[in-house]
Amino acid sequence: MRISSIKYYIREGFYGLLKNSLMTIAAITTVAACIFIVTVSYCLISNLHAMLRQIENDIGIVVFLEDDSNSETINKVSKSLNDIPNVTNVTYISPEEALDSLKEEWEADDILNGFNNQNNPLPSSFEVSIDDIKNQSEVLKNIEKIDGIKKVRNAENATDILLKLNKVLTFVGILGIALLAVISIVIITNTIKISVYNRKTEINIMKYVGATDWFIRWPFIVEGVIMGLIGAAVPIIISWPLYNKCVAMAYEHFSILSNIATFLGGYEIFSRLLPICLLAGVILGVAGSVSSLRKYLQV
Amino acid sequence: MITIDNVSKVYPNGSHAVKNISLHIERGEFVFIIGSSGSGKSTLIKMLMKELDVTSGDIIINGINTTKMSHSQIPYLRRELGIVFQDFRLLPKKTVYENVAFAMRVTEASSRHIARNVPTVLSLVGLQNKSRAYPNELSGGEQQRTALARAIVNNPPILIADEPTGNLDPETAWDIMYLLNEINKRGTTVVVATHASDIVDQMQKRVVMLDHGNLVRDVKRGGYFDED
Repeated sequence: MRISSIKYYIREGFYGLLKNSLMTIAAITTVAACIFIVTVSYCLISNLHAMLRQIENDIGIVVFLEDDSNSETINKVSKSLNDIPNVTNVTYISPEEALDSLKEEWEADDILNGFNNQNNPLPSSFEVSIDDIKNQSEVLKNIEKIDGIKKVRNAENATDILLKLNKVLTFVGILGIALLAVISIVIITNTIKISVYNRKTEINIMKYVGATDWFIRWPFIVEGVIMGLIGAAVPIIISWPLYNKCVAMAYEHFSILSNIATFLGGYEIFSRLLPICLLAGVILGVAGSVSSLRKYLQV
Repeated sequence: MITIDNVSKVYPNGSHAVKNISLHIERGEFVFIIGSSGSGKSTLIKMLMKELDVTSGDIIINGINTTKMSHSQIPYLRRELGIVFQDFRLLPKKTVYENVAFAMRVTEASSRHIARNVPTVLSLVGLQNKSRAYPNELSGGEQQRTALARAIVNNPPILIADEPTGNLDPETAWDIMYLLNEINKRGTTVVVATHASDIVDQMQKRVVMLDHGNLVRDVKRGGYFDED
């Protein structure tokens, strides 16, 4: 392939877009609309997903020691807990600390008024954090083997529900985005088909003067790439600040949310989405152009 | 240069458009293919330029059997053929110059080569002053001359014209025929399908007549309605 031909393909690609501006705008709008919808769905789903994970991880395991545990047992248990795989953090809570935090929590109530450090009914305990909720049952099994433990409290039922919820959400999310992608592909290829149809005489003439199939394809591929890039960039540029605005508003109006879970940062979402969308846009544009051309090249 | 050997064409609907035609055209010849509508001359022309495949028989162009050609080789066959149509088939969004340059561009000719050849052929067909005009700004004759310039810019050994004067008034038609004759004098083999009887009569070239798909007459120098 000669350099002059490459220059020609690129120039023709741009000319093609400009001279068929109406179809160009239609195709870019279609790509942009589809990618926008996918972007919004992705934002929703990934946030729900992240929030669920946060809630899951807040549900830690609490290990209660025997009432008369001395500091030696406490150290031993602490060491054993730390040695369990997948355990990320172990915090010791003394009976005093436990009482204080309980009093704080039940401030309005006077039920705990009679208790002080001398007659503290609470045992020593450890708060155990693990890296992933999936490993919880494994870790629990290991904890139960340790001596000197009176009781282990965990929210296994809640965890189960959350895990299932997360699975359903992931499934629905993937299914939804896949459906949207299929619909997008159909709409986009149809739009490009019309655009190619409008130029069928042009393609026909090219064939008669001895143009090879690839010579005809390249400018269309350039067009497809440009349409795909613009079609992907526009919705990202629009939805990024829009997303940040929505998150800010959500925090402002529903301040209770910030206690439960936090939204993902705009950068976190869009730095992941941008390359995917650009790639998807380019693939959609190129595949749409090339597949629509096929019929007209058989002359 | 062109050998048509026992060629038949049956369309999928069963109509037998060309029946066992054999024909040989020498290098540098000027041949009229005549016949009324439905005689099979358009089908024959389309098979020559490989727009249609033959049903049986062989077509050999410039030593190459085109009936056995793969799809990817067709463009290279067409570069050996300058093709002119009744409806001109110019690219409407390109100027006269660009339309002609385009035929060179597809052969991946260098820009310098293009810049040298295009003005030459444009002046040959008398369009040196119209090079920046778009097809819709031209008369029918000028459009057909642009198409002629495009057909010969790569200097093909063969020029095929399918009813080149069909959309033109008689005077303009003569201009085009004159140009075709000039191109033939430069050594290009020219095949013209037409039913412009007055032109065929006056030019006294080889005439091949088709009727209902059969070759009914082939004379070295003749008119449209000459008897054998």
